[in-house]
Amino acid sequence: MRRFFYAIALCFGTIMAAQAQELQAILQTHADEIAKPSRKTVNVALEDLVASGLPTVPGFLEAWVEKSVWQSSDGQFFIGAVEDDQINLRDVDSGAETTADKSDFKQLKPNGGVRRVIGTALVQFQLSDDNLTRRTTAVASIARRPAADQLAPLLASVEGEPDPVLKARKIQLANFLSTRFADNPEDRITAINSLAKDTSVEARSVLNQILQSSSGVAPTEPEGNIARILDPMQAPDAYYAQLVEAGFAPARTGPPVIRAALEANIVAGRVGNVPLAQLGTDAARERAYAALAKEGLAPPLVTTQTRDHALGEYVFYDLYDEPNAEITAAAEAALASVEQRVAFAQAADLALDGLSLASIYFLAAIGLAITFGVMGVINMAHGEFIMMGAYTGYVVQTFIPDYTVSILVALPLAFAITFGAGVTMERLVIRHLYHRPLETLLATFGISIALQQLAKNVFGTQARPLTSPDWLDGAWVISDVIAISYIRIAIFVLALLFLALILFVLKRTRLGLEVRAVTQNPGMAASMGINPDRINMLTFGLGSGIAGIAGVAIGLYAKVTSEMGADYIVQSFMTVVVGGVGNVWGTLAGASMIGFLQKGIEWLNPSNTLAAQTYMILFIILFIQFRPKGIVALKGRAAAD
Amino acid sequence: MRKSFLSENPSVLWFIAALGLFTLMVTLLSEATGAGLISTSFVKTLGKTLCLCLIAIAMDVVWGYCGILSLGHFAFFGIGGYAIGMWLMYARTEGIVLESLSGQTIPPTPQEISDAIGNQIFGVVGSSEFPLIWAFADSLVLQLLMVVLVPGLLALVFGWLAFRSRVTGVYLSILTQAMTLALSLYLFQNDSGLRGNNGLSGLQNIPGFESTPQSTIAIVFFLISAAALGAGYVFFAWIVSGKMGSVIKGIRDNEARVRFLGYHVESYKLFVFTITAVISGIAGALYYPQAGIINPGEIAPIASIYLAVWVAIGGRGRLYGAVIGAAFVSLLSSWFTGGGAPDINLGFYTIQWTDWWLVLLGVSFVAVTLLFPKGIGGLFDYLVRKQP
Repeated sequence: MRRFFYAIALCFGTIMAAQAQELQAILQTHADEIAKPSRKTVNVALEDLVASGLPTVPGFLEAWVEKSVWQSSDGQFFIGAVEDDQINLRDVDSGAETTADKSDFKQLKPNGGVRRVIGTALVQFQLSDDNLTRRTTAVASIARRPAADQLAPLLASVEGEPDPVLKARKIQLANFLSTRFADNPEDRITAINSLAKDTSVEARSVLNQILQSSSGVAPTEPEGNIARILDPMQAPDAYYAQLVEAGFAPARTGPPVIRAALEANIVAGRVGNVPLAQLGTDAARERAYAALAKEGLAPPLVTTQTRDHALGEYVFYDLYDEPNAEITAAAEAALASVEQRVAFAQAADLALDGLSLASIYFLAAIGLAITFGVMGVINMAHGEFIMMGAYTGYVVQTFIPDYTVSILVALPLAFAITFGAGVTMERLVIRHLYHRPLETLLATFGISIALQQLAKNVFGTQARPLTSPDWLDGAWVISDVIAISYIRIAIFVLALLFLALILFVLKRTRLGLEVRAVTQNPGMAASMGINPDRINMLTFGLGSGIAGIAGVAIGLYAKVTSEMGADYIVQSFMTVVVGGVGNVWGTLAGASMIGFLQKGIEWLNPSNTLAAQTYMILFIILFIQFRPKGIVALKGRAAAD
Repeated sequence: MRKSFLSENPSVLWFIAALGLFTLMVTLLSEATGAGLISTSFVKTLGKTLCLCLIAIAMDVVWGYCGILSLGHFAFFGIGGYAIGMWLMYARTEGIVLESLSGQTIPPTPQEISDAIGNQIFGVVGSSEFPLIWAFADSLVLQLLMVVLVPGLLALVFGWLAFRSRVTGVYLSILTQAMTLALSLYLFQNDSGLRGNNGLSGLQNIPGFESTPQSTIAIVFFLISAAALGAGYVFFAWIVSGKMGSVIKGIRDNEARVRFLGYHVESYKLFVFTITAVISGIAGALYYPQAGIINPGEIAPIASIYLAVWVAIGGRGRLYGAVIGAAFVSLLSSWFTGGGAPDINLGFYTIQWTDWWLVLLGVSFVAVTLLFPKGIGGLFDYLVRKQP
């Protein structure tokens, strides 16, 4: 790609060699066009100016755009700046400064359209400007409005470009322009082929522009670069409409047309000798219409047969705008290869999406994995603990304006508050219901609606913001297709941390050992000197506290409302159940399955996230039929009940 | 048999008598047929409450007697409502469309009529095609059959799958809740064919009775609801008494033991689950013509949990408890949320019941579960037993 590019650059570079001439002289040749420019006429003057190659031209053009070119009464042009009644003039060639009375000079005020045309001409000078920002702006303006005449100056400017990033960008852009505007078809094909590995949106749009086609219909196959011949029987009505539009066939006589014709030809309560009262069926109406058509009162009926016959007479085709078939073939091939790469990238992006959704579900469900999974307590208020955590984050932010500090304060505080709430709830309510699980469900549901309404009373019904720190804004962009926001990465990392933390607590600490002992056999654990009451209280507090921290994380990603917990509760329970109760790895597996599955279904039907959720829940219901104990089923004594 | 059934269950006679007295009283006080002391809207509220009582006894049978905490019965209620709503909406729109088309010179073709009706009904979700599920909407008989068949079949398939793989207890609750969530999410879509979150509306207008005043329609529906509740009560009382009732209660208390005695537990559970779902559908079909509108929000999982709340507050395992709970909580709820309850001024803060009612409900619910597991019905038992 590079070698090809330098070859072109060389041949254009020689053309740019200029002959010496005075700028003022050129300006005088086109005095009229410059003094009163219009978008059409200004090009003549600009071409001469650019062709002169004088170093003073860019300065003059810039001044012109900025409306600081003045014309003296004898027709000479100056660059000027007004100071009270005086005007400071600069000679366009020598740059010598003089001062004169303002009244003798007239300001040139080109309109917006003209300024744009001048701007385009100016771009080629700005491409080699000393100022990096200006060069970057110029390149960006070419990228926005690519045109054939920008290719040469762009190529010429590459050689002397000192900035490596901008140089790469210029080469890329020159390549894009070459695919469409290079003189030599071989050069264009080479440039097109070089795009075959480029998955950027820009490269794809370049290829698509080359492949732009217009559809048409003709009695015989037309001359030109035909993209494809279409089969009209795929959508006969639409193609027939095209035929009618082209004037090749009479308009379709659908039910509304028949109806209008019948209404217009009522004679003594009859149409085409059929009584009005009988016209309540399509068959009768067609009969009456046929009679009308026979008398010449209406155009003949176009039946399905006549329609199909007419469609068979004509050729429907797509014609490329680009006449050269080799180029379109190369572009087709390049686009196919690009699209294959894009598909791979999209699959990767989808996997990332699934991963981040899985980590959100995991985070929401991990507290439940302890209270429900390990202890077997159904806590319907778990979602409200998530909500409490999120509101804690919100309240902390109202006191501490620095977002980073406030998040760091909010995380432990949310844990502390929901830990306290969890312990209180365990002591007051759940403790009494350990042997009545269904009633635990209902009692905690009562707590859930009370807490939700309390939050509504305190914080109002509208969503509260929980702003993430600056360093979590934005996204990690891998390519135009693959991108993931930092906040999702942070949630993923947080989920991993929690997984590690909980596994550590349960498997490696004294508390974890006692928790497992109490859940397996409370009586035996008690006789070993473990206090089951205390352990249950602490475990429930731990699960609730983790829900609080999850609440802060989810609040950063979604809005904080009193109903946010309820949105996650059913999914969280299903995550735990699908994964397998009593096992943290199971929760991870459940969250991954649900997250990836939901994204996968959304991908199949992108317009409809509701349907995706519906199908996912149905899938889970079916899944539980076949693996009632979840993905990671406990075996042996731990699975006693 | 019948005689012994009633003599064994004196509460059935008491209940029928109380219901009859109540119905007579409301009829005599209503606007259409009596003194006019009870407004039409309150007659509708009472009629709706009777339907809620009907689904509450269904819930009581499946939960209080059989031990299956289903969080999906309100979904069956909603399905019944949608099934009858489809006919109500179709027939009424058809009437309107036919009237507007009759002014034209040429009589309309069946296609034109159906297009116009489709446009009227589905214009709100940007469609005019009739989805497949509306295939029988033009026939009252078929839609009434749907009221019974759709919830019944859904419950049968779902229950068969769940009971077959021995999903029990809390897991079954979560599974039924998932089913409810899936159904409501599905109905929320615009292309579900049931008008998305707009739901079906104008159901209070009964086709063929356009000129009948709403006060009369209200009292007629009230009487039908009362009859349905009475019939449902007797039916369920009969099911839970006798040998079959003993098996059902045995399953609640110890499923494994009943299985070891040789009973096919799954069949009993499936029967109870399905029959209660059918009754729930019927209750829904009576409820929504009185409510006038049904939308997917009604089916949301929370509604089914409220149903369990009513039954628990009323007292599980006794049918009259479910009736008392549903009537008491739902009427109290509309009294509090409707602004009927006076605000309490604490000096530093005014408790507005529209805001605080749910808190009160939640807390009292916890209190009932913890302190009075037998609910209001238990109190009733206590008083009855004390008297003699």
